[in-house]
Amino acid sequence: MRYKEYNTNNVLEKCIPIFWEKGFRATSIQEIVEITGVNRFSLYHEFQNKEGILYNALKLYQKRYGKSKFDILKKEGDLATVLREFYLSFLQSIEKHQGCFYIHIGTELADEDPKIKKLISDYLSSLESTLVERLLKENETKSNPDFYARHLVGLFCTSMSFCLIHSEKQKQHHIVNGIEVILHKKINYATSS
Amino acid sequence: MPQVLNQSYDQLVEKAQVLFWTRGYKGVNAKELASCLDVSTSVIYNKFTKDMLFMDSLGYYTTNYSDPFLKQLRETTEGLDSLRDFFYSLIDALLDKTFPKSCLMVNTVVEMRNANQEITDVYQRYFDTLTNSYKVVLDKAIGLGQIKYPEKRDAYAEFLLGVIFSMSILYKIRAKEELRTFIDEQLSFIE
Repeated sequence: MRYKEYNTNNVLEKCIPIFWEKGFRATSIQEIVEITGVNRFSLYHEFQNKEGILYNALKLYQKRYGKSKFDILKKEGDLATVLREFYLSFLQSIEKHQGCFYIHIGTELADEDPKIKKLISDYLSSLESTLVERLLKENETKSNPDFYARHLVGLFCTSMSFCLIHSEKQKQHHIVNGIEVILHKKINYATSS
Repeated sequence: MPQVLNQSYDQLVEKAQVLFWTRGYKGVNAKELASCLDVSTSVIYNKFTKDMLFMDSLGYYTTNYSDPFLKQLRETTEGLDSLRDFFYSLIDALLDKTFPKSCLMVNTVVEMRNANQEITDVYQRYFDTLTNSYKVVLDKAIGLGQIKYPEKRDAYAEFLLGVIFSMSILYKIRAKEELRTFIDEQLSFIE
């Protein structure tokens, strides 16, 4: 059981970059076979179809990568600084794939595939509740945490798409500006502009 | 079988842009493109390439969808109220599929990023027009006394630039009323 789970995750781990680079539609099962070294029959047996591979790849992404980034929001420290670190953690230039796998796949499929729609929606809800938890601890936001969380999720969607074409400096600037407008608070621009 | 091309290039672009809009660049192969345009694949390989049709589709989108939409916005007179109406009509266009799949420019940013200079230039022109249109409306809002901190105009314009991106994801998972509330609240940040 453990052995199989390890293998399944290993297969999915290899699928994440190819879905990310080529998109779902342009990725063929043949390419998945080549990249994972698992034959078509076993892939279909395990995941039923190409969609099944994608659904499980998304879940693995959240478990392996998303969750640790969400945890940044639980860190002690100034709210705006923590938020900035959270958004930027998805956009580090050292990471091969900048942005968020969920937003990337959602852009392609959330309006067509109800399961993807549900996965994206759950993902953003989970981000929203993590934000609410944090915002409840802050004097400036604790009276209306849902409101702020909703718009910080909006800023997340924006940053994970718009900022993909930005330079490091522009990314920081856009994110800091967004946080500042939402929190009605002047943030020290000194480090970002 | 050789086929006589009885359509103009502009007609081909018009058809191609719908396909790219709904399926992206990478999600369309030469065969599908040929079949959508009703030409043979050799036309795609030798005459009007996928890249060429894609770039001109972006141009078509700007000329026929975003430019007129933004021109209308710039001509409005009610400041923040006009901005709200603009975003409401964007929500309607997304939900009733006048815009068949979010915004072609947003989709392209996510899918292609800065794949080449030509595409980066297209983004630049698009976002400049968008930012300037927001600034025009914000100036009118300032004139109407709707904005307490006029010195924050540019920061607000940049913030508004993000709305089309967040809407492009959110309209796929949220109901119309929630989207409208989201817009109302986004605009409440502009004070």
